[in-house]
Amino acid sequence: MASVTLEHVKKVYDNKVTAVHDFNLEIKDKEFVVFVGPSGCGKSTTLRMIAGLEDISGGTLKIGDRVVNDVEPKDRDIAMVFQNYALYPHITVYENMAFSLRLRHMSNEEVHKRVCQAAEILGITEYLGRKPKALSGGQRQRVAIGRAIVRDPAVFLMDEPLSNLDAKLRNQMRAEIILLRKRVDTTFIYVNHDQTEAMTLGDRIVIMKDGYIQQVGTPQEVFDTPVNLFVAGFIGSPQMNFLKAKLIKGADGYSVSLLGASIPLNRDQNEALAGKKIGSQDIILGVRPEHTTVLFGQNTNAIECTINVNEMMGSELHLHLTSQNQDRIIVRLPTVDLTAEQRANLNYGSKLYITFPAKVMHLFDPESEKNLIWG
Amino acid sequence: MSTMKKVPEADVMTDNKSGVAPESKIEKTRSKSGHERRVNTAVYVVLIVMSVVWLTPFVFLVCQSFRSFLNEGGGMVPYVIPQKGFSLDNYKALFIKGFTAKKYLVNDLTLQEFFDTLDGDETLARDNAEAAALLRSAAEGRDPAKDTISSVMSAVQKDESVGQDKRDAASAFMRTVFSAARNQRFENDFRQDFNGRFIPWWTKTFVIGACFSLAVVALCILLKRLNENSDQLYRFRLLIMLGILIAAYLCYVLTIKQQMGYAPAAAGDYVQLGIIFLLFALFSLLAVNSFLKREGKLLQQIPGYPPETAWDKIKKAPVLFLEFLAMFVVMTCALIPTENSDYVGWYGNTLTIALFTAVIQTVIVLSVSYALSRLRFKGRKLIMNVVLVLGLFPGFLSMITLYFLLKSLGMTGPGAVPGLILIYCASSGMGYYISKGFFDTIPKSLDESARIDGATRFQVFLKIIMPLAKPIVIYTVLMAFMGPWGDYVFASYVAFGNVPTYNVAVGLYQWVNVADYQGYFTLFCAGGVLVAVPITALFLALQKYYVEGVTGGAVKG
Repeated sequence: MASVTLEHVKKVYDNKVTAVHDFNLEIKDKEFVVFVGPSGCGKSTTLRMIAGLEDISGGTLKIGDRVVNDVEPKDRDIAMVFQNYALYPHITVYENMAFSLRLRHMSNEEVHKRVCQAAEILGITEYLGRKPKALSGGQRQRVAIGRAIVRDPAVFLMDEPLSNLDAKLRNQMRAEIILLRKRVDTTFIYVNHDQTEAMTLGDRIVIMKDGYIQQVGTPQEVFDTPVNLFVAGFIGSPQMNFLKAKLIKGADGYSVSLLGASIPLNRDQNEALAGKKIGSQDIILGVRPEHTTVLFGQNTNAIECTINVNEMMGSELHLHLTSQNQDRIIVRLPTVDLTAEQRANLNYGSKLYITFPAKVMHLFDPESEKNLIWG
Repeated sequence: MSTMKKVPEADVMTDNKSGVAPESKIEKTRSKSGHERRVNTAVYVVLIVMSVVWLTPFVFLVCQSFRSFLNEGGGMVPYVIPQKGFSLDNYKALFIKGFTAKKYLVNDLTLQEFFDTLDGDETLARDNAEAAALLRSAAEGRDPAKDTISSVMSAVQKDESVGQDKRDAASAFMRTVFSAARNQRFENDFRQDFNGRFIPWWTKTFVIGACFSLAVVALCILLKRLNENSDQLYRFRLLIMLGILIAAYLCYVLTIKQQMGYAPAAAGDYVQLGIIFLLFALFSLLAVNSFLKREGKLLQQIPGYPPETAWDKIKKAPVLFLEFLAMFVVMTCALIPTENSDYVGWYGNTLTIALFTAVIQTVIVLSVSYALSRLRFKGRKLIMNVVLVLGLFPGFLSMITLYFLLKSLGMTGPGAVPGLILIYCASSGMGYYISKGFFDTIPKSLDESARIDGATRFQVFLKIIMPLAKPIVIYTVLMAFMGPWGDYVFASYVAFGNVPTYNVAVGLYQWVNVADYQGYFTLFCAGGVLVAVPITALFLALQKYYVEGVTGGAVKG
């Protein structure tokens, strides 16, 4: 139960490779923060620095009010769950969970009480006598979490705990982590490369790339107002469509022109752009697949597209479209609203029209890749 | 066992019924074909010839040593082949001569006997003419039948007018004549007993060796025949072992004590030996018990093997018991201390050195490997490279330096045991490769997890890594134990000349490096077998882990 503060934290490896540049973040007490980003973005390194498994090359790290840069991992009052579980294979589940308590010279009764309590929370009471190799992946992960929660740590670190599990189990464990978090009310730092997991679990998401923080915000914030192309592309599935377009500053405000259509921007956007004194320029327009509207007939100001691929997902269709110089636009089309006739026409090569309102459009500068409005 | 033989026959019969007979018939005719038989015969002949040729020198050596064992004080005794062949009477004579071998011991001779011996050997007189003349002149005026040569010799030694070197030569000459006299006595006896004539040594070697080898081969063939009837085989083994035991018992009491120059066996010796034999019997019982248990388990794994009845086991038990007992008895004949040899002491030295080295070296090797595998520190790569290059130089290069260093520390000669422990442990950290390789395969996240759980580096090493690295720990212990256990080079020069601090290897070498090595040959063999005991025991106990360890270091298991 403590806050974690990282000020200008930096990690430079011996071979002069900088893994983390100037990391600034304040994690509040009892907050669930998710570090997310592609492989090699420095998220695990940051977590390991917090854990004390990596030396900190620069900056200060505080847990609570204490600077812990040079404190041994065992004295930081943290617990960590590893991607590969890291269970001790030679001792039973019970002893695995009791290991840290025994190192702290707790009495046997206390150890027993805590282990049983943790096992009950995680539903692994019946496996306490087994060795880790006799457990399935999900059970092992539960033991790994159990090993962390018996300690009742101030900060709970999780390094991609679910990525070794199969998809179904991962969904189940994800839900359990949400429940667990309600029971074990402490600070969580969770590292992950899957944006869905990050969105569902985190109070706040820290999106990282190449050792830099790209954006910090609640899941809703990073989804609605991505500050740059990277964040926009990283969050959301299927990925956001990026279209080459032109921003035109007209007499009655800004409008975006693309593929023969011209879409005027709404008032908020106009104000924001005018406030930044932005003129007419080439832009990259970002539109999420779920925000496009598909029209089956000709419509003014709609973009004409050809179907390339039709992916049936059950509740919805993912259509991969091409249009003039844009080679791939993905749209999501709920199947509920479609008539049998419409559905039959959604074949390779058939034409349809898409349109989208101004408020779902994200405008990015092609040079700096920043969001023109939020960035 | 006879049921075992019947099993294939029963199969053939059922095959006949079900109409699959032809195949088995072909099998039968094939095995009976002339070609096959000729090949079989040829193989047998080659095997017999080879085993005779191969066994001959060994058998001869054993004969020689037995011979010199009977002949007081050892020494090469010319062999005689009796004209009439080996008759029971001849053997009886041989044993009686052997058991009363004291007769051949020559400590002193009357002047008459001395000069008779000298005259009987032209070469001896010619080669030592000066010394012989000196003794002859000194003996003048004495009574040849009553005065002894040693009294003459002491007179010569006091005579200042003769040069020191001449006096020494005379003394050495006297002893040579003693040994010649002994040989002459022995030969005379045998000439008389066997009515034999002397045959060149190589003929003797080959004829005696070949005879015994043929006997061994015949025994093997007999055993093979007997093998087809297990009951007979057991009876046979039982008889042989009883014979060996009785012989060993008599040897102990009657000859060994005598050979060592003690008084003839007293009643107390029989009791004492009886107690020792009883102890051996206890060990043998335990061995038989575990042997039968294991054998039963192993046999069960053979498909189609008829289940063993209790009677089968009971039949085996006494034979095995006697075999084990004989093994113990024969092995321990090395343990009897004689002048200039202390096998138990050597064994103890070796065991002490090997155990200490095993413990210290294991601790060092594992710590170094763990550090190099897990810790990242400045110069780590450099240390590993330097150690690699240093390891290319043979350890023997440092021998002389080590000797002087140890000498200045007082760790040579009487202090050889701690000195050797120091040498063996000194550079043990350089052997970190295999265990480092093994540690590298243990996921690092286990260390990290334990460290976050609150363990110090040492606790991680002790509580997490050690249990997981059991195979490599076993491997390291075994290697660390075996090195000093079998070492000769370092042990021989560090303990140079100090018999009580020899290790087994040096001691055993000492036994076969003396003039009358035949006298020690049986002891040498027995001592050699005992050396194998701890290593065998260690391997039997730890082989499961050892196999894991050897492969486990290379590939993640």
